[in-house]
Amino acid sequence: MIIHANVFSYLIALAAALILSLVLRLPLLPDKPMRTSWTISAVFPTAVLSIGFYAMVSELGYQGYIVALTTGIITALFAKFILEKIVPIPEGDESHE
Amino acid sequence: MNEILGIVLAAIISWFNFVLIDTWMGLPESPGVKGAEVIGRSVQKRGGDLAGGFFQGNIVCSPDASAGTLLASIACYAIGMPEGGLIAAVLVYFGNRICADPGYAGTIGALSITVIIYLTSFVGFKPEFFIVGMVLAILTIQGLYHTGASRLLGKLAKKMGRYTKIS
Repeated sequence: MIIHANVFSYLIALAAALILSLVLRLPLLPDKPMRTSWTISAVFPTAVLSIGFYAMVSELGYQGYIVALTTGIITALFAKFILEKIVPIPEGDESHE
Repeated sequence: MNEILGIVLAAIISWFNFVLIDTWMGLPESPGVKGAEVIGRSVQKRGGDLAGGFFQGNIVCSPDASAGTLLASIACYAIGMPEGGLIAAVLVYFGNRICADPGYAGTIGALSITVIIYLTSFVGFKPEFFIVGMVLAILTIQGLYHTGASRLLGKLAKKMGRYTKIS
């Protein structure tokens, strides 16, 4: 199977999201133990979301390095300011985690 | 590749992909929600293993690596490589968070099966083999014999250091 996607676009979206989320003072990695941590960090979920969101806009027909860069920036802003409002930590889990 | 052979091999690969990731991410350790605990206790009452029961309960109650594996296979088939797998990872992440789960297992499962589908495509595997394979793999855990499956999952959890401390 041939990958027809432009790998560089994904890397740009990933790098933009990682760098901006670190600038926005999100931690690089979730707290330990990571498997039970609810912390929103640069690597998870911001980086994963950035390439996923770029895949979505790319499939909708918007491709290119500028689109990738914009997607990365918007993803970092989304992870920092909006994500926890849309999918909050469930009540009672703050103490548990 | 022969379809039947491909599906059987894909089922084995999918089984290891989701069981190992889910166990590594601590599904047998504790129930994420009340429903998972109820399922775990019920499996234990019927002679099964509590940690294995929690595993089974957790994958019923939120989209973990099992759902990630299945959704990524479907998305790779429907949308293409690698966009399908990446989109599936995002959707599984949001599904996880809605279901009171931090989302590591589901997302990692979706991304890992996307890589596996890509790598196995060089030897003739198709994404559709993994769709059917994953349905068969989940059937062995959730559909055939709960207590036996839970004991196997419990043994695996012990080996991987993820056995529950709850009694």
